[in-house]
Amino acid sequence: MIEFRNVSKRYAGNQAIDNLNLTIPTGDFFVLVGPSGSGKTTTLKMLNRLIAPTKGDIYFEDKRLIDYDLTQLRLQMGYVLQNIALFPNLNIQENIAIQAESLGWPRKQRIERARALLKQVDLDPDQYATRMPNELSGGEQQRVGIIRALAIKPKVVLMDEPFSALDPISRKQLQDLVLQLHKELQMTFVFVTHDMHEALRLGQHIAVMRLGQLQQVGTGEDIMQHPANDFVRGFFENEHAPRPDTVQSLLNEGYGETTTAPATLTATATINELAAALKGSTPVVVGTGATARMLSTPDLLDYLASKEAN
Amino acid sequence: MAQIIHILQTQGGDIVNSIGQHIGLSLISLLIAAVIAIPLAILLMNHERWAKVMLQITSILQTIPSLALLGILIPIVGIGTIPSIIALVIYAVMPIFQNTYSGLTTIDPNLEEAATAFGLSRRMKLFRVELPLALPMIISGIRIAMVLIIGTATLAALIGAGGLGTYILLGIETNNNALLIIGAVLSAVLALVFGAAIDWLGKLSFKKAGIVLLTLVVLIGGFAGYRKLASPQATITIAGKMGSEPEILINMYKDLIEHDHPNTKVTTKANFGGTSFLFKALQSGSIDIYPEFTGTVLESLVTGEKSASHDPAKTYQVAKQALKAQHQLAYLKPMKYQNGYDLAVTKQFAKKYHLKTVSDLVAIEGKVHAGFDPDFYQLKDGYPGLSKAYGLKFASAKTMEPSIRYKAIANGKVNLVDGYTTDPEIQEYHLVVLKDDKNFFPPYQGAPLMTEKLLTEHPELRTTLNKLAGKISMTDMQKMNYKVTVKHEKAATVARDYLRSHGLLD
Repeated sequence: MIEFRNVSKRYAGNQAIDNLNLTIPTGDFFVLVGPSGSGKTTTLKMLNRLIAPTKGDIYFEDKRLIDYDLTQLRLQMGYVLQNIALFPNLNIQENIAIQAESLGWPRKQRIERARALLKQVDLDPDQYATRMPNELSGGEQQRVGIIRALAIKPKVVLMDEPFSALDPISRKQLQDLVLQLHKELQMTFVFVTHDMHEALRLGQHIAVMRLGQLQQVGTGEDIMQHPANDFVRGFFENEHAPRPDTVQSLLNEGYGETTTAPATLTATATINELAAALKGSTPVVVGTGATARMLSTPDLLDYLASKEAN
Repeated sequence: MAQIIHILQTQGGDIVNSIGQHIGLSLISLLIAAVIAIPLAILLMNHERWAKVMLQITSILQTIPSLALLGILIPIVGIGTIPSIIALVIYAVMPIFQNTYSGLTTIDPNLEEAATAFGLSRRMKLFRVELPLALPMIISGIRIAMVLIIGTATLAALIGAGGLGTYILLGIETNNNALLIIGAVLSAVLALVFGAAIDWLGKLSFKKAGIVLLTLVVLIGGFAGYRKLASPQATITIAGKMGSEPEILINMYKDLIEHDHPNTKVTTKANFGGTSFLFKALQSGSIDIYPEFTGTVLESLVTGEKSASHDPAKTYQVAKQALKAQHQLAYLKPMKYQNGYDLAVTKQFAKKYHLKTVSDLVAIEGKVHAGFDPDFYQLKDGYPGLSKAYGLKFASAKTMEPSIRYKAIANGKVNLVDGYTTDPEIQEYHLVVLKDDKNFFPPYQGAPLMTEKLLTEHPELRTTLNKLAGKISMTDMQKMNYKVTVKHEKAATVARDYLRSHGLLD
């Protein structure tokens, strides 16, 4: 069990976390959700003491976090980063076994463990174990990022928006993967996301945060049916009655390639308008300068397909 | 080009030796610099303030001109290999430190965060993550340092550490472009080869690179140790200044000493450096004997005797007394020839106007177009004093670089030049030296210079080396210099031939 008791974090003149009280049950899949600046990542990073609270205490198994030996604490907590952060100088099995190496596991045991984990996430060990990270796709890399966090069987796995940089299909597959891993491994997963949809899909319990303050904690169903306030209700309205999709939605999902060509369509145009434009002149360019993206018919099809799949 | 090939053929062994010295000096310095700079950068990677201070210090060291640095080091650590290595290390530390530091501090913060969050130990984080990621930067720092070192190491020749700089300095000193080119090109080639080697090393894994480096250290150490053991324990070290003439002389000294006293071992260090380096080396005991000129002694080595007599014998006596009184040095008897300023004309010109002495010039001064070394043109001992002493005023007198002077007279651009009496060009261009019949030029006679202490320990040296007293005429010396610098004969052979043909050696 993890407990936040009256925890605040203050940066020069800026209240990042304001008197947070929160309990994360052992073995839970706990999701912290909120818009940027809500303090969800700060909350997560206080768990492995990457960030120290200004006030209050965090308890892990009824012992204050700061009373743990830092290395011992961190070796009980797996960590998955948003941008994956595989060590580019180490091959896949070395990356997976880095914490095991730090714990002094014999080499043979480390390799065995890495290969078993690769198998568990459908990456053929013979093919992947000795490759370098830059030879893998983004989705494959994050699979490795996840099993790296599991290698030494930690009690808690912390995940900081691990799928936000992935394409929708990979994201869906990896969401399924972490759900399955959670079921199999009986570890506490703490997962940060800004995507309400992802929170609902994954979380047994969800904590909604905004501007450093906790808005509501509960199961997805609780929150959907009894939103604590207007902010939570607003956050969920998108989920209930999604506005008609616009080209912006595609851009948000990361579709399109950067281009220098002039814009042919605005980002507020609907998906239907995009389809019409793509029929006339392919491809379509949205936005200008650094944000200009070129969208093609496969992008639109892919977007619609993954939306349907969700 | 033909000259370069000829030198490579005749002096190949010496050149290979110099390359070896150069490589040894460079690699040892580079290794020491890396051993200092890399751990220092690691130590300071999380202390930005101290790292900045260190960067400042190394940058300041970098701005000290290398010659000045060597000058500063000589009184502290003497001459030879050690000050050269210290100076090279000082130059090499900055690029390695700077690159290692920026390599370590510009690692992707996400990777740093991952390593921290995984609870990796400080040691493991450093060796598994940080150093490998900074390696390309570190390698490029070492590469920069290496190019710097190989270039700067040419200056080591100035203070008797040898290396390819010997050929560059010798080339400048004796106006021999072929030697200069050999020295410079070989240094450049070395820099390229080592650059490539370092790049290759950088591509190896951590472990393999370590093995290669370790092997290198062992090899160099072993080689240095072997050299030390293999080289005979020298009891007397004789050094000479840059150029052929001192090298011929010190070989004569060696032959004479070893002939008279077979139990005494002599090592020679030719082209050891400039006057002040040799003088300091003699005082510090790094060398035991070197040939020095009477005129130079009065001019730069002793105080208060500048306005000496123009009489060679008197000059020698004054120099000898002053060296004994001021520096406790013994100055044996001088040889016959004088290596001082002279005036030279072509044979045809001399014949046409019946020129034998400088005084003979007065009658034809309106026809003389002179080419002078800038120093000679200005110094009191040079043209101004000369024209006063002889009442001479030439039709024209141009200043030109020493090297161009002889070519100018050979091409007929001028018809009179100044020079040194034993310059090999006198023979090469068939020139005639005019006799200084009024003894205007200060006398420069060569004689062996050593500490009084050495002479007390080896009194036999006096008789042996004084065999050369009054020997070797100006033409003898010109011929020998010509053989060595123009014909590229070995100085040792030329010296021995002279000694044999004059019955000093059997």
